[in-house]
Amino acid sequence: MGRSYHTIAFDAQKCNGCQECEKACAQAKAGVTDLVHSRIKVSPGRKEGEWGLALCRQCAQPLCVMNCPGGALSKDPVSGVVSWDESRCVGCKLCTLACAYAGITFNQATGQVMKCDFCGGDPACVKSCERGALQHLTGSDIYNEWGDLEDLFVPGISACLGCNSELLVRHTLRRVGPNTVVATPPGCIAGVGAVGVNGLTATKTPVFHPLLTNTASMLAGARRYYNRIGRDVTMLAFAGDGGAADVGFQSLSGAAERGEQIIFICVDNEGYMNTGVQRSSTTPYGAWTSTTPVGSVLRGKTRDAKPLPIIMLMHNCEYVATASTAYMEDYYQKLEKAILAAKKGMAYVHVFSPCPTGWRLPPARLIEAGRKAVQCNLMPLWEYESATGDMRFTHPVDNPLPVTDYLSMIGKYRHLSAEQTQHIQEHADRQVDLLRKFMQQRMDLAV
Amino acid sequence: MPKTIVCDGNEAAAWGVSRAKPDMVAVYPITPQSSLAEYVSQFVADGIIDADLMDVEGEHSVLSVLQGACLAGARTFTATCGQGLAFMFEPYFRTPPLRLPIVMSIVTRDGITPQCVWGGQQDAMTVREVGWIQMYCETVQEVLDTVILAYRVAEHRDVMLPVNVCHDGNYLSYGVEKVELPDQEDVDRFMGEKNTNWHVALDPERPMGVDPLTGGATGNGPALFVRYRKGSCKAMQNALQVICDVHREWGEQFGRHYAPLVEEYRLDGADFALVTIGSMTGAAKDAVDAAREQGVKVGLIKIKTFRPFPLEAMIQALSKVKAVGVVDRSVSFGWNSGPVYQETLSALYHLKERIPAVSFIGGLAGADITETHLQRVIDVTASLLQGHMPAQPIWLNEND
Amino acid sequence: MPDTKYLIVGSSHAGLAALEAIRLADAEGSITLLSKEGSLPYSPTVLPYVFSGMADADRVFLREDDYFKQMGVDFKRGSAVTELNAQKGQAVLETGETIGFQKALLATGARPQVPKIEGLSDCPFQVLRTLADAKALKSGMESARSAIILGAGLIGMHAAESLCEAGLQVTVVEMAGRVLPGYFDAKASGMIKSIFNEHGVKLLLGSPVTHVVANHNGCGVSLENGLDLSADMIMVATGVIPNWECLENQGIDGAQGVLVDDYMRTGLKNIWAAGDVTRSKSFFDNSPTYSGTLPMAVEQGRIAGASMAEDPGVKPFPGAVPLNTYSFFGNRSFSVGQAMATASGKKTEVNLIHIPSSNSYQKLVFNADRLVGAMGINSELDPGVLWRMIERQVELGDVKEAFAAKPKEIGRLLMNNLWR
Repeated sequence: MGRSYHTIAFDAQKCNGCQECEKACAQAKAGVTDLVHSRIKVSPGRKEGEWGLALCRQCAQPLCVMNCPGGALSKDPVSGVVSWDESRCVGCKLCTLACAYAGITFNQATGQVMKCDFCGGDPACVKSCERGALQHLTGSDIYNEWGDLEDLFVPGISACLGCNSELLVRHTLRRVGPNTVVATPPGCIAGVGAVGVNGLTATKTPVFHPLLTNTASMLAGARRYYNRIGRDVTMLAFAGDGGAADVGFQSLSGAAERGEQIIFICVDNEGYMNTGVQRSSTTPYGAWTSTTPVGSVLRGKTRDAKPLPIIMLMHNCEYVATASTAYMEDYYQKLEKAILAAKKGMAYVHVFSPCPTGWRLPPARLIEAGRKAVQCNLMPLWEYESATGDMRFTHPVDNPLPVTDYLSMIGKYRHLSAEQTQHIQEHADRQVDLLRKFMQQRMDLAV
Repeated sequence: MPKTIVCDGNEAAAWGVSRAKPDMVAVYPITPQSSLAEYVSQFVADGIIDADLMDVEGEHSVLSVLQGACLAGARTFTATCGQGLAFMFEPYFRTPPLRLPIVMSIVTRDGITPQCVWGGQQDAMTVREVGWIQMYCETVQEVLDTVILAYRVAEHRDVMLPVNVCHDGNYLSYGVEKVELPDQEDVDRFMGEKNTNWHVALDPERPMGVDPLTGGATGNGPALFVRYRKGSCKAMQNALQVICDVHREWGEQFGRHYAPLVEEYRLDGADFALVTIGSMTGAAKDAVDAAREQGVKVGLIKIKTFRPFPLEAMIQALSKVKAVGVVDRSVSFGWNSGPVYQETLSALYHLKERIPAVSFIGGLAGADITETHLQRVIDVTASLLQGHMPAQPIWLNEND
Repeated sequence: MPDTKYLIVGSSHAGLAALEAIRLADAEGSITLLSKEGSLPYSPTVLPYVFSGMADADRVFLREDDYFKQMGVDFKRGSAVTELNAQKGQAVLETGETIGFQKALLATGARPQVPKIEGLSDCPFQVLRTLADAKALKSGMESARSAIILGAGLIGMHAAESLCEAGLQVTVVEMAGRVLPGYFDAKASGMIKSIFNEHGVKLLLGSPVTHVVANHNGCGVSLENGLDLSADMIMVATGVIPNWECLENQGIDGAQGVLVDDYMRTGLKNIWAAGDVTRSKSFFDNSPTYSGTLPMAVEQGRIAGASMAEDPGVKPFPGAVPLNTYSFFGNRSFSVGQAMATASGKKTEVNLIHIPSSNSYQKLVFNADRLVGAMGINSELDPGVLWRMIERQVELGDVKEAFAAKPKEIGRLLMNNLWR
């Protein structure tokens, strides 16, 4: 298993060219404010207010290292940082020729090349960026930690091209581990062979098909018995929106009310994608499905999606969160909390799951669609912890993109009229507004 | 020393549950089962039953939590009837092929519509083809005893099937009798080792895929599916012998002997017989006794175990008479007769000689089946011996 | 069964790049890496710095022994290959030992070309291609007061600078009309020449040599123009020839470099080649061309390794781009692509900036909307950014004007946006 590393991410939208990062870098590396010493370089763009960034990316296969004739450059296998050894540098500058991104550059003041060394793991530039244009991403820690955990899902499952369910299941199972009972009711995840076909199974933990209707109940029964005999066995559900919001809702609601110790993950692809793309109660307004068709009379679904995460919030579950495979680091953090919360009660995680097949979405754009949905505030990422009553956005979107940025990617919205689009925009705005109001008044549902 | 108590059938069932020591009981109320759910809950509250009480949101979840628990290794109990059973049908349907030894009382109730909350066997009879073992009780004592011994049947390695202990709503659920409550230590000795999930489990120590997609037209699918189906059918047939053995053991240990499959009552020298099931049998036996005193050579065949259908026992009993009158407490809409009648006809096919049979339907929706009604049954059935064949079925309460 | 799945002959940049590319796609296949040298791998490019004293000869190695252990590579030093037999899938070593392979990479590099000049072979002269050469040169320099260098390429110029800095009287003799003729135009070459002249290095350009004689001091060199030179030592730096001889007698001619296709295949079964031993297509006109630069060796090595390991992500070689960086007497320069071009016709445009006071020079060559070449002396441009803009044929379109005005900033912006 290869290692993954911390990185510095740059959000050009947030940069205003203030060069505080350069000052911080020069100060940290040379003890002076002369920007000639800065290893991070903000570049003015083509038009006013546009900014670019030149910074070493600490490449996985660094060409600067490969091109260095003196062995002065090397990639640290633990930190991932490409480091420069002054004592071995011959000053040939081939590294500046090898790097396509001006990540290693010539410093006229010193007469030597220089590059970012990540400040030993705590980059000064990031701390200096008040606008959040620079971010120190540490998600690799999770990948590295989880990468060493056993993969409990076999290769060769039969998901549609581009489907993120495999990503979700594989990574979730790694973390929850083998001491788990997994329920996958009828739906896509069962459909890809999670439980198996004709005597073969895809999952290395105990796994079963509950009914579409009784996932939470069956897991509750198993968990109660394990509690009785003193074994702490994790109960994990991967249910679709049908098995959670529609026909599965009664048992889910009942289990939530009783505080059953279950991690219930709803993989919401907004309809019955496994059975031929029919509508469910989480199908959004305006969406085409095979039972909310588009014709001369009908123009897709006429009602908004049932807000299941909010409904689960109102159950005062131990933990409630929304998540997206477009934001895996966020998901990992939520899964950690869900695992802990499920020791006490129900942890409900609602994963937005774009569907290439049923949404008429090119497989290669699935993650992008998931990201856009968050950036448009159509699928806001938030979490609620019953123990503290805290509810918060985990990925606040201050300047949301227009919903059209998302809708225009997806075939099931191709027919939308301006009025329908307007409705969806207003729905997104209202939804975030409602969540914000919840967060403003401390959620104290337990009282 | 066993205690003698006075209780109704629902309480007796709850006492039986307490002696069987389940790990989990799930409850959801429905008339006329509700007091059974209440007794069980109170027993848990009082520490009489040491089990998890799953007070869930409906019958669908009642059976679902028990399935999960059973797959994890729990001994489980619940009870329902009528619409509750109908709502439970989805998980009910898959309990037998999952081979889960869950015991559930059906406090039998007639079906709606017309809207009705009273006794009748329409619920239990409607699900007779789903694959659960069904045993019908005659008395409150038999309810208590059968609930206990049902676990021995269900958890037998050769069976591994769920069992419905059926007792008639109103008549047995609320009818009070003096019953003997066996000592816990004696029952413990009788029960032996718990065996709920040796064959299929949701247990990280024995990871397996439970109930993968099976079947289809290609590969090993068709053969695999047949293997499962054959296994379930075979287990059902195995149960016949197990039910007999368990009843015999029970009789030997506790001194109460029940006919495990089919009871033959005064068939010696009988020209014809009534076929009954459930609590009506008491009144029917009185009617037979009275008729015998009048010189009418009538006997009675009571079916206790209806699923698996006790074919051999029925053939043996039916071969002793020349005509039968079958009393049902429910209807078979498709046959315009009662289901027990239909199944009796199936058994009759196996006799060397063809004998006439007539279908009676009575006791629907809480109505009484009195000795008077049964006297009529005897008279009509006797007339078959003279070659008479009335229009069928005969609705006993039609003119009440 | 062959002895190894992958045999890599040569352990410098091309060989090491191939090794890493193989391991990316094939974590377990056995790899044997051969080096004719007795030392750990090093780069010929570092050698001028070894004898200039900039680099410590004991600390120039590109990889340590541990590295080969971690990568699961059997690294055999002192293993010169005399024959790489495609038919037999077998390498024969100088020692007579044989190694069977499934796939082999020839990455043996090149060696100095010694011109056919009368008397040269009878005269003790220096070259610079191995660590031993560098050490010999260094010790030779200590007792000499003057030196003649044949060739004003990168090696010759580097050597001239080092010898000059060591206090020797240095004369460089070059047949062509300017220094570094492969990389710099007349203007840039002229600037470089002036700086050398300022430091006392004599540069005799456009001066073919007629014969060389050994004399009691060292040697004498006679030029076609009648000039006779004499110095304590003489160094030959007139280019290189590929080390391809182990493929002789197998139906190919590698005297000008072993010709390879876009995946570095030689045409011989299961034999790839990369680096200074090859000729490959030119990026600009697809004609077979000899590169002989470190960055091209790395590019080719990566492609060869990926192709050998059947990495599904392998990309074809886009073609050789002439390029290099060169630093001298505290100045720095680079050249990328068609940097020699002059404005001609409608398509080719040249953007020039020359600031004599700071010795700085900058040249951008465009073909229609694309950058095709760039050159700089003491310029702030990022050569790597420009190379990849050329290679990816970035259509500048409406940003061309802005790029021409602010090539450093806009170039960085463009390449960072193109990150993939």
